[in-house]
Amino acid sequence: MINETNKIIDSLGGTGVLAKLLGVNLSAVSNYRKKGFPARLHYKIASLCNEKGISINEKIFGNISRTSLPIDSRPIEVLSETSINIMENLVSEKFELIDPPVLVSADKVLDRLGENIADRLYIFSDPAGTRLCLRPDLTIPTCIHYLNNGFNGEKKNYAYHGKVFQFHNPTSSEPNEFSQAGLESIGGDSSLETEIEIFYRTYNSLKKAGIKELNISMGDISLFSLLVDVLDIPVIWKDQLKTKFWNDKNFKLLLDELSIKKKFDNKLFYKISDLDQEMAEIFVRDTIGLSENQSPVGRSVKEITERLMKKSQEINTEPLSKNTSNLIRDFLSISDNPSDAIKKLKSISKNIDSKLDAKIDNVSERIDKISSLKIDLKNSIFSLEKGRTVEYYTGFLFDYNCPVLGDKANIGGGGRYDDLIKSVSSNLDVPAVGAALNLERVEKVIAMENSL
Amino acid sequence: MSSLLLALPSKGRLHEQMNKFFDSAGLKLSRSGGKRTYSGFIEGIEKIEILYLSASEISNELLKGNIHMGITGIDLIEEGRTPASKKVVMLSKLGFGKANVVIAVPNSWIDVESIKDLSEVASEFRSYNNRRMRVATKFTNITRNFFSKNGISNYRLVDSAGATEGSPSAGTSEIIVDITETGQTIEANNLKILKDGTMLRSESCIFSTVDEIWDHIDLKPVEKFLRIVSARSEAMDKAELSFDYTKESSELEISLYRNFKAIFVKGTPYLGDSVSLIAPLSELTSCSLYLTKMGYGPVRTSQPNFIYNRDSISWNILRESIKRA
Repeated sequence: MINETNKIIDSLGGTGVLAKLLGVNLSAVSNYRKKGFPARLHYKIASLCNEKGISINEKIFGNISRTSLPIDSRPIEVLSETSINIMENLVSEKFELIDPPVLVSADKVLDRLGENIADRLYIFSDPAGTRLCLRPDLTIPTCIHYLNNGFNGEKKNYAYHGKVFQFHNPTSSEPNEFSQAGLESIGGDSSLETEIEIFYRTYNSLKKAGIKELNISMGDISLFSLLVDVLDIPVIWKDQLKTKFWNDKNFKLLLDELSIKKKFDNKLFYKISDLDQEMAEIFVRDTIGLSENQSPVGRSVKEITERLMKKSQEINTEPLSKNTSNLIRDFLSISDNPSDAIKKLKSISKNIDSKLDAKIDNVSERIDKISSLKIDLKNSIFSLEKGRTVEYYTGFLFDYNCPVLGDKANIGGGGRYDDLIKSVSSNLDVPAVGAALNLERVEKVIAMENSL
Repeated sequence: MSSLLLALPSKGRLHEQMNKFFDSAGLKLSRSGGKRTYSGFIEGIEKIEILYLSASEISNELLKGNIHMGITGIDLIEEGRTPASKKVVMLSKLGFGKANVVIAVPNSWIDVESIKDLSEVASEFRSYNNRRMRVATKFTNITRNFFSKNGISNYRLVDSAGATEGSPSAGTSEIIVDITETGQTIEANNLKILKDGTMLRSESCIFSTVDEIWDHIDLKPVEKFLRIVSARSEAMDKAELSFDYTKESSELEISLYRNFKAIFVKGTPYLGDSVSLIAPLSELTSCSLYLTKMGYGPVRTSQPNFIYNRDSISWNILRESIKRA
């Protein structure tokens, strides 16, 4: 391996030339001669070799799997300097570069993202009749890569780079294909450290690529669901609040609706109220007209019974109190500089429940850790509404925004989605955190900032 | 000036109903060069070229802006509309091809009667089964829009080419969205339509695309054609009632309108006038009985073949939407 490394250094023009090309000092290159190339340079070295037409033995990059090297699969010379820069900072010993599939099962994507995104997808059938789509992001293909390699909970850290495809209205100026670079950490435990590492690496890669002004907006979706969980309200309301949470208009309508005494047309909601679960199931079977070993179409007797019982509980509940609905509204309206947001959050939710307090401490610790990394959070925002319009994240989430872009300032972001693997595959309960950057926008920002 | 392209349904019941409508409007359709060709013209109206296409092709061609006018269903236009579509406007309803696009769930779902119930069940379904509830339909666009407007997101669409109402019992979906005239097939398959589950009331209509395709079209023949069509369509579900205004009543005019949507043809009547009223056909009996009860009579009724208004609504819609004086 060291022999190969020396051959490459010589072919590229020797220690001095390579040191200049890489922007490092001479002793660093001498070190590579002894110890091999560090992982963060693999991408750059591969592209330099490609430029000069030097064939390389993949072994010089250590025992990284073949797919981790993009040399065969993709013409490196088309990658811009910015993309290479970003990739150098994302790929490392810890984050293995992978090349996830471009064609993915349309059903898996729709199961994950929901039908609302269907009009943005390129869906088609292959000659065998399988419904496929061009990947709309690299997160789902990365999960498929994880599962296809037989993992079912082990922690794997991946880095990726590639084209993604999303249809946009032809009158808009948004491109239908663009490039993403990003990281995913799948499996292991859902720790704060992983979240911060993903955040810090992507943030750093943007800074090192040359972006000057970068505003961060953050949130944590799990705060709202935890608040709802600890409130003293019927289970069915909790479910409704969580479901409607993703659409502000419907959510407000629901809050108003819960605040007045409701009337129900369905008499069954009243009839079932005195029955225990077993009797209620018998009652449901009789009402439908099912014999003992028959089951209803599409749902089980248990599902139908439990919903009827929840509805009968709802009937006997007093409307949502003004205090509670105001608490929910105030809670969601928090949007401020991170440290102020935490202060407000603490004051609004004090004396509600110790579980909520613990969660807020956890969020506060995350913000402290981020600021301790010398990341300037002065122009950043922590908002409880963050992530509400995309039913996607389950915990921490963040966006990178560049004011120079104006209205469409977002250049990337990510967060925690612990239900991701479950919704793509099976019943595997595997945590996941990730982030993706839109490379064309990153380049646009750098060009615009430089021309100012 | 070039000819206008008007597409008409080429086959099936829609074709027959369309022929009947043109007959009743006194418009004679001729095929150019023989019965089996797929083009033709209207006798006595120049510069309108007729193309015979399937109803779904007509909707697609309108939305692409390839033809000027066409007869097809509201359901097909709504389903075919994409962000890239040209604007298509409805000029006149034609009174046939009436059917509703509805949501239906299994009869055994005794806890589900409304969209709100369905919305709750959809999210519970996902947590019980770790997958989204499946909706079989050929109306994917209409369903997506309606569900999104009603805040239902936990579902998946399953494309269904035919016999949609069979898919819940076949296990390929949990619920369906389908088009139905009477609801009988849906009931026969042990499904029930949600009480607020009518997503769209469809009917055959004459539509026009709003595009530069109209730029060099002679509008004279179109005006004549549209005036005839809308006069016929307007008359179809209307009745005329004649009686003598023998007794002055300050409230008659307003209560006739409020209760029966009936309107005096010549405006507010004077004592002794011989007056006529236009009312919806469905209100004919009750409106007549009301008049006799109020002391008027005899009330003579008839059904007009055409109602030509000074301003033809269809013609106005077209003229305004293509911005021509």
